[in-house]
Amino acid sequence: MAVAGRSVGEALVSIAGPARVRDDAAALAAAAIDGIRPSWVVRPGSIEQLSRVLALAHDAGLAVIPRGSGSTLELGSPPARADLVVDLCGLDQVIEHNPADLTVTVQAGVSVGTLAARLLPHRQWLALDPPGAVTRTLGGIVATNASGPLRARYGTLRDLLLGVRFVQADGVVTWGGSKVVKSVSGYDVPKLMVGALGTLGVLGELTLRLHSLPDAERSWLVLLTSAAEAQAFVERLIASPLQPSRIELFNDAALRALEAESTGAGVAVSIGSVSEAVREQGERLGTMAKIGRARVAPLPDGFWTAAESALMCPPGWTALHVVSLVDRLADTAGVIESAAQAAAPRSEVRLSGSAAVGTFRVLLGGAGVAEAVAITTRVRHRTAAIGGSVVITRGSAELRKAVDPWGPVEPGSFALMRALRDEFDPRRVLNPGRYVGGL
Amino acid sequence: MPLSPVFLADLQRIVGADGLVQSVEGRLVYECDMHTFYKGAPDAVVLPRRAEEVVRVVKLCLREKVPIVPRGSGTGLIGGAMAPQGGVMIGTNRMDHILAIDLPNRCATVEPGLINLFLTRAVASHGYFFAPDPSSQMVSSIGGNVATNAGGPHCLKYGITTNHVLGLELVTGAGELVRLGGPAVERPGYDLVGAAVGSEGTFGIVTAITVRLLHAAEAVKTILASFTTIEDASEAVSAIIAVGIVPAALEMLDELMIRAINEGTGAGYPKDAAAVLLIELDGPAAEVEAQGERAARICWERGALEVRVAADDGERALLWKGRKEAAGAVGRLAPTYLLQDAVVPRSRLPEIMRELLAIGARHRVQIANVFHAGDGNLHPLILYDDRVPDELERAKAANEELLRACIAMGGTVTGEHGVGMDKAKNLPFQYADADLNFMYRLRRVFDPDGVMNPGKLLPSHPACGEGFRPARPRVPDGAWI
Repeated sequence: MAVAGRSVGEALVSIAGPARVRDDAAALAAAAIDGIRPSWVVRPGSIEQLSRVLALAHDAGLAVIPRGSGSTLELGSPPARADLVVDLCGLDQVIEHNPADLTVTVQAGVSVGTLAARLLPHRQWLALDPPGAVTRTLGGIVATNASGPLRARYGTLRDLLLGVRFVQADGVVTWGGSKVVKSVSGYDVPKLMVGALGTLGVLGELTLRLHSLPDAERSWLVLLTSAAEAQAFVERLIASPLQPSRIELFNDAALRALEAESTGAGVAVSIGSVSEAVREQGERLGTMAKIGRARVAPLPDGFWTAAESALMCPPGWTALHVVSLVDRLADTAGVIESAAQAAAPRSEVRLSGSAAVGTFRVLLGGAGVAEAVAITTRVRHRTAAIGGSVVITRGSAELRKAVDPWGPVEPGSFALMRALRDEFDPRRVLNPGRYVGGL
Repeated sequence: MPLSPVFLADLQRIVGADGLVQSVEGRLVYECDMHTFYKGAPDAVVLPRRAEEVVRVVKLCLREKVPIVPRGSGTGLIGGAMAPQGGVMIGTNRMDHILAIDLPNRCATVEPGLINLFLTRAVASHGYFFAPDPSSQMVSSIGGNVATNAGGPHCLKYGITTNHVLGLELVTGAGELVRLGGPAVERPGYDLVGAAVGSEGTFGIVTAITVRLLHAAEAVKTILASFTTIEDASEAVSAIIAVGIVPAALEMLDELMIRAINEGTGAGYPKDAAAVLLIELDGPAAEVEAQGERAARICWERGALEVRVAADDGERALLWKGRKEAAGAVGRLAPTYLLQDAVVPRSRLPEIMRELLAIGARHRVQIANVFHAGDGNLHPLILYDDRVPDELERAKAANEELLRACIAMGGTVTGEHGVGMDKAKNLPFQYADADLNFMYRLRRVFDPDGVMNPGKLLPSHPACGEGFRPARPRVPDGAWI
């Protein structure tokens, strides 16, 4: 399709106003994704503007890259095309907080930190803590289905997202779900948007389930000598009456990054409840650890914030999201470490994981593209047998060209995914080529 | 349209003579679910034993463009598992096995016809349970729970069915057997499991389900508090939630219901009570103890007439007795009722209860209430006597007005029962054309020929027949010329 660049730019300006459209070299260079420079960056100030921008892009045959804070642009395959970056940080309004209903409706560009500040006076929170959440936008977190240690108790966005207003690839504004905590009216459209990387629609507004902050919370680090011991401890813990809010497993390298004692493996556990129950459960945790001959050290307040910073992915490193099972924690940790050792003897692997659900976050340093491919492939081979997966969540474009960052999808499922994409974005306006199987 | 002898013979070859119901009397059993308003007998019922048989039945029906209606135990409340257009009903009752129990990973894989409570019974001795607990759990099938995304009294704390489904094996409307999800908590790509749960058999028919199992709580405490006004009881609910307590269940009964239950079952609720709150807490013993005291104190502070705390399992059962027999007890007030399932934001409960009384008065029908107060999920029973001329019409009018009032307060038309035939016409109260259009297209992805449970879940648009057409935004003229 012949696109006269100048007139698209003018149309964008007519929709969003000159202050919200950039096409200068500096802005375009800063907005490049995997080395592809877009022709425009637009920052809509309302869902109506977003809708009109997408309708224009659709009709003009442009490829749109939606972005929030830009923290997770290395997730997925390098895009096939990128003409227009839609920066959603302009949608920054907290629309409605209903403290008595424990719900909030926000625009997609609101950051977790901004929301948390609004909720704190009510002693409420969005119980979701993916790495870097404070500055990340909620829309980006939904689109990438990011989660952190709190998922052990509170689940993921699958459990927290109640309603969603999104703009389809052709510009049609659509609402799915509800604004109340319980609804089965029609299909569960919000679930479809979680982790879809904006390929079925660009997220504009989210209604989220909130929780009350617990009266008290304390955390402990249980130090063990091996991943096998850590797995046994986690299995005992989740089969006990205790209700931890986080059960996070660390390998030795991660413990060193946390400046904790490195004994082989560590499991950090936090318990939030009324203060009597926190104390009582803490004592039982101690007893449970002693049975397994582990040591327990209380952790200071602020540990989880410090741990998140200490385990951010350093520049040049690769991050993997590995999904396994609770009864394969030690096996999976072992495969990850040995694959790294075999492929790149001088590499470093920092492992942390939501042990209660069997997922790992892997930070891999000192491995080149070929080595990272070998490691990813080897771990994939092992986790595939149990229905697990390995997704590259951060890594160079070269790496993500050399190996499919998503890994294989079962053919029957994939046929449905492709049919969904063909139905809702046949022209591949939204994030072309970035999603699973090159969708 | 009756099925041809050749077609019936083909069905019988797939499921065997004992798996095919053709007689008029036999098919009559399947003409409705628990919402007996909506009747439609299938032309044949098949009772397959294996997924492979389901695939063959679906492919056969596809070839002949015969509608397919999946059915579990038939205990749904929405006119879902019945055949308004005839066709073939696929009953999952003979696919009722537990395929795998995996306690270290806290999950189990079951066939769809397995009765909900049987799964909990199979794992209870190990200290586990399956959380979704619709009132029908001793008879409803897990496949049916998945189809309707069923809830229950304890979903306030534990979530509804979708929060407990990890994987599905599904025969789509295109006749393809697909495996979605599994014991591992997530996998790359769209959340097809999340989309399929609650699709009421319109995407296909589920032939196996992997569900989460939860560890049973160490302690349970049940409290019954009665109040002289609904407002006081609602404020107690809000105050309990506001201090951070998430009860396992938080149920409320209104004045009319209390009277019916007192007369019917002798539950012995205080006579002057206009609202009864049933609060159940579970979790670690120390937490339950502390939160129980706090919840009881809140009830007293909000003017409770009486607060009873169950001392043991026997007393606990007694406190629940009235709640569990509520639907039966209203039989003393009227021969039949319309059951509603709308949700309002919890904070609007006192307001909707006042509105509900006014609506009842306006249409001269009695409305009794038993509901999940913790999540604002109402279950008004609109009482009527179908022997009285136009009482049913007045009940229906009250019903619709009530639904609209709930939506106006930011609510939803169904919280846990589902849509089916009954509420399809009500979805436009809540969704715009664009939203419904998205859902139509989503359905088509799973069921391109529209053979799966037609006429359910989505309304027909009066103007465009099947779908709803959204309006596109205006694009600046000549921008790409």
